Amino acid sequence: MLRPRIIPCLLISDKGLVKTVGFTSPKYVGDPINAVKIFNEKEVDELMVLDIDATVYGHEPDYRLIEKLAAESRMPLCYGGGIKTTEQAKTIIGLGVEKVAISSAAIANIGLISRISEQVGSQSVVMVLDVRHKRRGTYEVWTHNAKVNTGLAPAELVSELQHFGVGEFVVNSIDHDGLMNGYDLVLAGQIREATNLPMTVMGGAGSLRDIGELIRRFGIIGAGVGSLFVFKGIYKAVLINYPSSEEKDRLIRDYFPAS
Amino acid sequence: MITIIDYGLGNVKAFLNVFKRLNIVAGVARTPSELNCSRKLILPGVGSYDCAMELLRRSGMREVLDELVLGRSIPVLGVCVGMQILACSSEEGQSVGLGWIDGQVRKFDIASSRQLAPLPHMGWNDVWPVVQSPLFVGLEQDARFYFLHSYFFQCMQSDYVLAQADYGSAFTCAVNKANIYGVQFHPEKSHHYGARLLKNFAEL
Amino acid sequence: MSSKYQICTNCIMDTSDPTITFDSRGFCDYCRNFHSKILPNWHPNEQGVREITPLIDKIKFEGKGRLHDCLIGISGGLDSSYVSYVAKEKFGLRPLMFHCDTGWNSDLGVTNIQKIIDGMGLDLVTEVVNWEEMKDLQRAFFLSGVSFIDTPQDLALFSAIYNFAAKNNFKYVITGGNNSTECVRESLAWTYFSTDTIQVRDIHKKFGSRPLKTFPMCDILKYKIYYRAIKGVRVIKLLDSVNFIKKEAIRELSEKFGWQPYPQKHYESRFTRFYESFWTPTKFGYDKRRAYFSSEVLTGQMSRDEALVKISSPELSAETMAQEFEYVATKLGWSVDKLKSILRAENKTFRNYKNNLFLITLGAKISNLVGLENRVFR
Repeated sequence: MLRPRIIPCLLISDKGLVKTVGFTSPKYVGDPINAVKIFNEKEVDELMVLDIDATVYGHEPDYRLIEKLAAESRMPLCYGGGIKTTEQAKTIIGLGVEKVAISSAAIANIGLISRISEQVGSQSVVMVLDVRHKRRGTYEVWTHNAKVNTGLAPAELVSELQHFGVGEFVVNSIDHDGLMNGYDLVLAGQIREATNLPMTVMGGAGSLRDIGELIRRFGIIGAGVGSLFVFKGIYKAVLINYPSSEEKDRLIRDYFPAS
Repeated sequence: MITIIDYGLGNVKAFLNVFKRLNIVAGVARTPSELNCSRKLILPGVGSYDCAMELLRRSGMREVLDELVLGRSIPVLGVCVGMQILACSSEEGQSVGLGWIDGQVRKFDIASSRQLAPLPHMGWNDVWPVVQSPLFVGLEQDARFYFLHSYFFQCMQSDYVLAQADYGSAFTCAVNKANIYGVQFHPEKSHHYGARLLKNFAEL
Repeated sequence: MSSKYQICTNCIMDTSDPTITFDSRGFCDYCRNFHSKILPNWHPNEQGVREITPLIDKIKFEGKGRLHDCLIGISGGLDSSYVSYVAKEKFGLRPLMFHCDTGWNSDLGVTNIQKIIDGMGLDLVTEVVNWEEMKDLQRAFFLSGVSFIDTPQDLALFSAIYNFAAKNNFKYVITGGNNSTECVRESLAWTYFSTDTIQVRDIHKKFGSRPLKTFPMCDILKYKIYYRAIKGVRVIKLLDSVNFIKKEAIRELSEKFGWQPYPQKHYESRFTRFYESFWTPTKFGYDKRRAYFSSEVLTGQMSRDEALVKISSPELSAETMAQEFEYVATKLGWSVDKLKSILRAENKTFRNYKNNLFLITLGAKISNLVGLENRVFR
């Protein structure tokens, strides 16, 4: 049986791992390579690493770091942050990364998705949407680390983009980011309605139960997790963790919708 | 030596890393002459069928590979699209495949599946071997691997089916004919399960 | 000075420590010190519990009204994991657990910390040392040619917890330090005080390349004079009051919490593992396990014969070590060849760099005289 994917999402800023709340107040959490090594040993389903500075400051992706991260991963790795051209995407895939995540560059220029998809295959193209709640069940897509409001509704954008060679959508709730009080299931539901492509939901996972609720609602889904797998306890101690394979099996047994 | 065929597709580095960790000597071949010392071959691949066949043709290694695999029976393991091109043709594209294992590559029919099954088939899924095989030693009971594809291999003969997985319905996810093996999933990205399979292949 | 090889007839310390001395029976000075200074004052039994009880009661009393009454540093290793268990379950204390992440945590270390925290419902705080700064300081130590390249980690671990204790008014810090497995310490020929910040800063000045802005640094004098004497921070080696037998402790922790043992002491840090298993034996010709095994021989946990067998073979295979070598080189931003060239470079000692040995030794002598420090620490 295909399992829902439980995916640690790591944010990189100034070569270090950080965790944010609402996309602000980055807290230093340690060395990215050691974190990836530990997640690898914990045999996580997949890993997503996003450079949150690259687009904002106009950096090139840090290829040396990406290569080291890829060398440590014996599971699929998705890398995003500052990817604006097909060449960059190709280079990153060539370093041993399975998927590239794009966001602002694709919103600015939809053709970029098809061009990258033609080069590396759509299965390797992930579209990330950072989303803020506007009012009463409506949302807007933001870019540049939640600094620029595109004014676009995520569900409509997804409906359009899915025909351009996207392999997977990642929908990230800015409002729920770092709060560890559950996913925005309303937002996730809207995106699920808009596309049949694989989807990962991010922002707000605070417990295995939150992941379970996501699985209960959507079945086959990617659960993107940030703070929960990096912090522990009321003082938010930094301690990398991930459910064991027994805990994952139990989670799926308890929550996966019966067919 | 295990040779990973680098014709421009697939995560060559990932394979090298796995073999390194297993202390198994492995190298890369980008030209026909680099295939000379190969005792076993890995044919990786991601992306589209036509793209894979075209890149293989352009690499100039096709003829030598035919000779090594069909003529000298060197064991070969095709991975993902690398497995699909072992077939004769694919619904995904126009190209003629390698034809090393009689079969056709079909698209998952999601309309007739029992439950919502989005494409591509992406994630960790259980694999069960249908016959005993040295490739799956130690993986007979508990085997799960990472999949990322929308098409699957349909063998002409059931003898060639090595393992199956379930996505909407059961489908062939590993094939074998004599020295030729193919797996739809990504052993190079499937943690200890994949490492075990690659070790088994190396020890054939 | 004789260069003849000699090994103690009682433990397994040998002349790889060039300052070692032997008596007429062939017993080394570590053994003699153990019998004359440590053993008479060490009661890992009912008496020890009786002796420490007033202090435990005091900690509990002073901790009333606070969420926690003491601070315990946890690394994921056996000593700190077991002392947490002893403190909470056997003595009923309410510790706040403190972990310092220096960038080298192993998966096993992190998992074991989680098992202890979850198993006993403990609260945890962490300090994450800025990796770029740690990396720079570690690189500097490698380039300096000294043997004690574990100093940056040691210093960070030490400083972080005592800085935290002082800042958050924790008077009682419980550590996993113990006689049972550490009564034989290494000599200055093998190591040097990681808290001599004069030395650390000099090495960094000569070989480092970025300023240490956030690196936790507390020198031994600040610790002894300000933290201990003025702020009254007390360090308690709780394991010395109970019967701490390594094998038993591992079994207890495994049964209760699913804690998993490491192949060797300090393996919760991949760097320390590399440093002790490979770097020091290969570059400097001594094996720190000698001190650990000798401690266990002295405390009756291992026979001398067993210790001799164990020391004669490496803990990890050559292939694993080669992989770790590459891992360490890559993590520090070097090629394997570069790290190899550093391995072959000239060996230096602490005397090649500025140091505060005089004051530290003076301080230690005074501590010894008033009974605060009983191990031979040359």
